[in-house]
Amino acid sequence: MSALFSRVFLSNRPAGVKIANLETSLSPAVTIRRLKAYKPTLADCLHYGFLSSILFFAFIMNPASWISKVAFYTFLGVLFIIPATSQFFFNALPILTWLSLYFTSSSFPAAMRPPISVQILPAIETILYGDNLSDILAASTNKPLDFLGLIPYGLFHFGAPFVVAIILFLCGPPTILRGYAFAFGYMNLVGVIMQNLFPAAPPWYKIIYGLNPANYTMKGSPGGLGRIDKYLGINLYTPLFTNSAVIFGALPSLHSGCATMEALFFSYVFPKLTPLFIFYVCWLWWSTMYLTHHYFVDLMAGSVLSYAIFQYTKYHHLPLADGSLFSRWSYPEIKTFNIVQADPLGSNANDIESLPVPLVLGTDFELDDMVNSDSPSIFDNERSISRSSAASNTSLEVQEESYSSPRLGKQRVD
Amino acid sequence: MSHLPQSFLGSFPLYLGVEIALGITILNKCSGFYGLLALFTGHPLDLLQWVLYLFSAFTLVVYAIGLSKTYKPDVLTFSLVVALFTLDTVLTCLFTLWFSNDWFSRGSGLEESRPELQNPGSALGPPPELVKRGSSLASQSASQGYEHSVTILFTILTLAARFYFNAILLAFLQRLLRHPKYMLDFDELQQDMKNKSFLQRYWRKCQLKCYYLCRQYLA
Repeated sequence: MSALFSRVFLSNRPAGVKIANLETSLSPAVTIRRLKAYKPTLADCLHYGFLSSILFFAFIMNPASWISKVAFYTFLGVLFIIPATSQFFFNALPILTWLSLYFTSSSFPAAMRPPISVQILPAIETILYGDNLSDILAASTNKPLDFLGLIPYGLFHFGAPFVVAIILFLCGPPTILRGYAFAFGYMNLVGVIMQNLFPAAPPWYKIIYGLNPANYTMKGSPGGLGRIDKYLGINLYTPLFTNSAVIFGALPSLHSGCATMEALFFSYVFPKLTPLFIFYVCWLWWSTMYLTHHYFVDLMAGSVLSYAIFQYTKYHHLPLADGSLFSRWSYPEIKTFNIVQADPLGSNANDIESLPVPLVLGTDFELDDMVNSDSPSIFDNERSISRSSAASNTSLEVQEESYSSPRLGKQRVD
Repeated sequence: MSHLPQSFLGSFPLYLGVEIALGITILNKCSGFYGLLALFTGHPLDLLQWVLYLFSAFTLVVYAIGLSKTYKPDVLTFSLVVALFTLDTVLTCLFTLWFSNDWFSRGSGLEESRPELQNPGSALGPPPELVKRGSSLASQSASQGYEHSVTILFTILTLAARFYFNAILLAFLQRLLRHPKYMLDFDELQQDMKNKSFLQRYWRKCQLKCYYLCRQYLA
C-alpha cells in the first residue's frame, strides 16, 4: 500500500523540498511559541473577531447543558493547541463556526425571529426569470426522475465536501486545503446567517399551503424526497427534513452553494475536467427544483455567494495550481496570485507594445473587402502597415514618415 | 462616457470586476436552459417567456467566451460582449417591468390556497405552549406590505447591480480600446479570415460591427 502511495504521489518529489510535509509534533509548547511570535494583521483581527463572536453567540444560545458546552469548547481548544491536530482543525475554524451556528439555529425563540416570507421568492423569481422555474421542472414527475434527483441532492451533497477535501489535499498544491476550508466555511456561515435573518418558505410550502401566512410551529417537509422514502419503504428523508434546523431557510440554497464551491475548487486544480463539474452543478440545480426544495433564485443566491467568496479566496489565499503536477508533494514551491501583474490593462514601461499610439477615428473597414481581396504579396507595389508592426517600432515618428508616401491613394483599413 | 468607474468597488482592478460581473451573469443566464425544459415537462409558456429563455441561453454562450478571455482579452470579443450586455440590460429592464406587472396583477395568490389553511398554523394544529401567544402566531408571518416592499427592493437592487456591472464592462472595454497593446491589426485579421466558414465570418462581422459601435461611444 505504501509502495503504491509512494509510486503515485511521491515519485516526482523534488529533492530537499519540505513545503508539503505535515506537522507531527504533539507538544503544545510549539504552538505557544508560534503564538508569541505571531503578529496579526487587520484582516486577521476581523477574521478571528467575527468568528469568535459567532462562536460565543452559539455558546450562549445553544440549549445544551453548560457542562457539555464547556467540555466541547475545551476539546476544541485542545485540538487547536496540539500542532498535529491544529494544522487541520484550526484552519477549519470557519466550518466549525458555521456548524455551531447551524445546530443552534433551531433553538432560537420564535419571538426573536424575523417574520417568515412566503411570497417574496416566487414573486422575485417570476419578475427576474419570467416564471417559477421550480414549477416548470416539477410539473411532471416519475420514478426514474425521482431517483435521478435523489443522487446529487440526497446522496452526493453529504459526502462530496469530504471527498473534495481529501482529493484537494492529495492532488492540489500545499495549503489549498486551508483555502478550501476558509471559502467553504464562510460560504455556509454567511448562508446560515442569511437564512436566519431572512426566513423564507421553499416551493414545497407553496404546494401544500399556497401563499398563506406561515409560522414557526409548522414542520418542514421532505418535498419530492418523500416519494423516495415510499419507494424504498424507509423513513430517512421525511424525519430529516421535517425536523430540519432551519425550516424556512430557502434563501440561499446551501446545496447549490456547496456544489458550486466544490466545482470551482476542482476546476481550479483540474481545469481540463471543468465541463464535468459544470454538469454536476446543473444536475444538482435541476434536482433541487424538481424535488421542490428551492426556487431558482435561491440557487442563484447560493452560487453567487460561493462564486464571490471563491474569487476573494483565489486572489488572497490560494496557492497557484500547476496542471502538469499531480500531487502536493510534486510542488517545489508555493506561489500565490499577483493581482497587479495579472492585470491585462496594466502598463509596463519595458513592454514596447505598450507604447502610446494615437487611435485613428473615422475610418471604416468592411469584412467583404477582406474576404474577397487577394492575399498580399511581396511583389505588391504598395505596402500595408499593420498596427502591431507600427506599435512594435520604438520610433513611431520615423516610421510614419517613411511609410507615408506609398500609402497615398490607398484607403486605410484601421 | 467620461464618468465610468476607474476601478472595481473603488480599489480592485477592473478585470476582477469583469470576472465577477460575467460570472454572476452567466450563473443567472442558466435560467434560460431550465425554462426551455418546459418543452419536456409540458408546463405552458407564453411567447415572451420563450423569447426570454432563448435569449438567455444565447447570451450565456457569448458571456462564457468573454469570461474565458478575461486575462488575455481581445477588443473584438469584448466589443461583442459589451454591446450584447448593454442590450441585455435594456431588455432586462423591460422584461422586469412586464413580469412585475404580471405578478402584481395576479394579486397576492391567496386564491390558490385551500380555505381550511387560511388560519396560520392550523395545518398541523398549534401546540399547546404556543396557543398562549394568541395573535403573535399570526405576527410570525410577514405582512402583505413587507412582502411587497421587500420584493420591490430586491428587484431594484438586482437592477442596480446589473447597471453597475454594465458600467464596469464599459470601463474595461474603454481601457482596452485606448490601450496600444490591444489595437486591431486588420491585415492579420484579413489573413485570418481566409478559408473560414460562413459562420465564423458572420461571427467576425458581428464583432466588427460591435467594435465600431463601441469605439464610436467609448474611444
